[in-house]
Amino acid sequence: MKTAILLLAASLAAQATTFYVTISGLGGEPDYDQRFKLWAEDIGSSLKKAGGDADVITLEAPNRDQIRAKMAEVAREAKPTDSLVLMLIGHGSYDGYEYKFNIPGPDITGAELATLMDKVPATRQCVVNMTSSSGGSIDSLRRQNRVVIAATKTGTEKNATVFARYWADALRDPAADVDKNDTVSALEAFHYAQHKVAEYYDTNKRLATEHPVLDDTGKGEGSKDPTTETGDGRLAAAFPVVRLGANAEAARDPKKRPLLEEKEQIEQAIDQLKYDKAGIPEAQYKQQLTQLLIRLAQVQEALDKQ
Amino acid sequence: MRVFQWGNGLRLLAAGLLLASVLPAQTLQDGDNLWKAGRYQDANEVYLALAEKNPTNVEYRVRLGRLSLDYGYPDQAQGDFEKALEIKPDDPGALLGMAMAAAELYEGKAVELARKALAADPKLVEAQALLARVALEDNNNSRAAEEAHKALAMDPNCVQAKAVLYSMDELADKKDSAWDPHDARGYLMVGHFFMLNRRYEEAIAAYRKAIALDPNLYPARSELGIQLMRLGQNDEALNQLKICFDNGFRNRSTTNTLKLMSSYDRFTTFKTDRTILVLNKKEAALLHPYFESEMERDIAAYEQKYRMKLTRPVQVEVYPDHEDFAVRTLGMPGLGALGVTFGYVIAMDSPSGRPPGSFHWASTLRHEMSHVFTLTMTGSRVPRWFTEGIAVHEETAASPEWGDRLGPDEIEAIKNHQLLSIAELDRGFIHPTAPQQVVVSYFQAGKICDFINEKWGWDTILAMLHDFAGDAQTTAVIRKELKIEPEEFDKQFMAWLEPQVKTQVEHFSEWRDGMKAVQLALAKKDYDTILREGPTLETDYPDYVEGGSMYEVLAKVYADKGDKAQAIDQLMRYVHIGGRNPDTIKLLAKDLVDAGRKKDAADVLDRLNYIYPEDREMHEMLGGLYFDLGNTQGAIREFAAVLADNPLDPARAHYDLARSYNLGHQTDKAKDEVLSSLEIAPGYRPAQKLLLDLSGAETSGTSPQIKKN
Repeated sequence: MKTAILLLAASLAAQATTFYVTISGLGGEPDYDQRFKLWAEDIGSSLKKAGGDADVITLEAPNRDQIRAKMAEVAREAKPTDSLVLMLIGHGSYDGYEYKFNIPGPDITGAELATLMDKVPATRQCVVNMTSSSGGSIDSLRRQNRVVIAATKTGTEKNATVFARYWADALRDPAADVDKNDTVSALEAFHYAQHKVAEYYDTNKRLATEHPVLDDTGKGEGSKDPTTETGDGRLAAAFPVVRLGANAEAARDPKKRPLLEEKEQIEQAIDQLKYDKAGIPEAQYKQQLTQLLIRLAQVQEALDKQ
Repeated sequence: MRVFQWGNGLRLLAAGLLLASVLPAQTLQDGDNLWKAGRYQDANEVYLALAEKNPTNVEYRVRLGRLSLDYGYPDQAQGDFEKALEIKPDDPGALLGMAMAAAELYEGKAVELARKALAADPKLVEAQALLARVALEDNNNSRAAEEAHKALAMDPNCVQAKAVLYSMDELADKKDSAWDPHDARGYLMVGHFFMLNRRYEEAIAAYRKAIALDPNLYPARSELGIQLMRLGQNDEALNQLKICFDNGFRNRSTTNTLKLMSSYDRFTTFKTDRTILVLNKKEAALLHPYFESEMERDIAAYEQKYRMKLTRPVQVEVYPDHEDFAVRTLGMPGLGALGVTFGYVIAMDSPSGRPPGSFHWASTLRHEMSHVFTLTMTGSRVPRWFTEGIAVHEETAASPEWGDRLGPDEIEAIKNHQLLSIAELDRGFIHPTAPQQVVVSYFQAGKICDFINEKWGWDTILAMLHDFAGDAQTTAVIRKELKIEPEEFDKQFMAWLEPQVKTQVEHFSEWRDGMKAVQLALAKKDYDTILREGPTLETDYPDYVEGGSMYEVLAKVYADKGDKAQAIDQLMRYVHIGGRNPDTIKLLAKDLVDAGRKKDAADVLDRLNYIYPEDREMHEMLGGLYFDLGNTQGAIREFAAVLADNPLDPARAHYDLARSYNLGHQTDKAKDEVLSSLEIAPGYRPAQKLLLDLSGAETSGTSPQIKKN
């Protein structure tokens, strides 16, 4: 079940470290330089505030060697139980064959970024490429157990993007945590940023020049509408990118374990009920849902009091 | 005429060239016969081939232009006539064509061009008849009659002149006119005049007569379809337009109207006893309560004010895509930029179709709804200046913040003495001599109605409407109801208006220079200069609330200097004058909340519901304020709006609505909403707490049976 996977993920992640590597590239002009730097700082700041077992690394306009060195360092430190989140902000290019991230000196290709990530032993990985033409990097970056998010659906969407601005917002806005489990998953953050990007173009009466996509199956081209029910989205839903509350702490307290177990059972029952919804008369569904939700609320209240 | 603009572009051009090379040469007569048979594309190919083979022949080029005109492309026709004039600068046919194209586009230069054509050929009866047409379009009946009779003196069978005289009689409800043209093209013109005077049913009847006489007269059939669509008679409209399309008559208005009608499944309809509201499905849930409530409010206010009851519901259609709305105004004079009224049907832009803050939808609705009343009261016989003037007057009568502010175009027009006399004011709407004259005419007409209302009272306005219903002319109505000559009225009006705008008119140039200096000072953070010069600039042109207004600049300066009270004061003045920038209004609301003035903050924010309701942040903030202030209905409305706007955080949105219902003791609805919230986010703590409160459950309650996987 979705909740069970999430709890398991949260529990596993609680004992492991998440390495966050945020890289802002070249702006090409002062306005973009400033903007990219600001967004990268914003992301770093939100992640540091969230606390937990996190190693937050921010690189501002590094050259290729500096990226290689930092990723090698992460590869040395990370364990298989750890997680890696790589976030790229800036301009990208795509010539029909190869994606490149614009940085000082020679640009770094999507293929090389993939190789650097492959060397990190962390089993669970997420790469958020927020540059223009980032859709062109999906082919190189995707693999099993890796969530790949791109700001553009293809490499041909070449205009500067705003996705990073809203990804940064997603990491600190409680509204991004749609299921209110105090954790913003990669899927939730993706949906939040995607929604905001669409609103940005709509409100400004501009033709949208970026269409974010997500791939976590390791074989697709990326989906504009990933959900836990479809192929793309399942892994991303179970990938916590930031924790907003005390979930992890509670999971570590042995005194709370019986209540947590009951909570998990109720959540599983709710998930099952929702899954069976189509086959249950509406009144019966509502009655059962009410009972389960009341009990869950009671258990949560008891947990909060301990 | 450029074939490629007619739809099948290159293919037709290639076919035309091929035909021209392999078939025997075709003649002008061949083209004319094809045109008469309604085969516009074929006629075009013949004329085009002739014009290209004979590049110095003016007649072929003029014929191309006339065909384009008949096809509904006056702008394209102008290009052909210009080419003809390059060949022969004083060619009467080309000059006439230019005049006709200008008339189709409601350009003020139509008269001058027609006179040039007449000077080049004093026997050119079509040019003479065109002068009659333009005069009647301006509601200048005496001149129209004079010009039409001149045309008939040149040719007693002139259909267009007869049609003008017949239209005058018909518009004045005189039956058995002696000027019935008994001709399809004559009735096409009659239909045009009824359309122009918003008498759509009669326009439809005229177009029906036209196609009864000539079923191949597709311009009339297309117009028939469009007028039927405007009145909501969609089945027949679609049928008539399809006949045009299937027979190759695929001009812009035909194809665009068909396209619009094919998109109707994207819309949904809400009905009450008095209202029919048509909204795009994607924004229907959000806009429905606001629009329906304003429609009801407007109708109730107007029924009292105009002392009449509407006999059927008013239909309002709201288009988020401006191009869809634009189809509704095709071929109509004036701005038609925001809304348009066809009898009991109003079509308007959606607030989402315009940049945030640039459009006050409730003001536009108020404006258009007044047309429903004035047109109904007068059987659409009210002159344009008066119905528009009343509509503009009604906007600011609803709230001084609504309506348009005094703009630079109006200031320039007053300064340069370019306002029209009341007897000629219709011309400013129908045949403006410059694009800005339409805007200025709206302003002037509105002010004239303000003036009449202030000096003679509302009953006089109603009396004037009744006079117009009897088809009285403007000058006669002025004499009868205001007891003064129109020229004297103009003098009194200016004497009343000038003191109101004196400061703006006299200081406009200084203000413009001063604002530039302020923007430079702002960039340099030279706040002392701004604080020294700003208040005077604000006084010199208090109506200026567009981007970079003095109110916003001074508010920023005060805020940066830590003087929140002064910043709030500036922005309060900004909203009370009519400032509409959503970001500025939200900033003011936040400052008011910080200052502990929640009630004022809610009042300020509520404005945005009538300007740009697609602002979720505003609804969330306003809902929260209403909740804190104990305004249950307000909180429910605002949080329901959040929910209707595809929120990022649906669990939170349902929870906010649940707590609002709970505040209003609507427990069942509160339970439903809290369940919806927790169904999305079972672990959402505030919703869990509310559920426990609503259920009266104890924490020690029995656990339900858990179904294990």
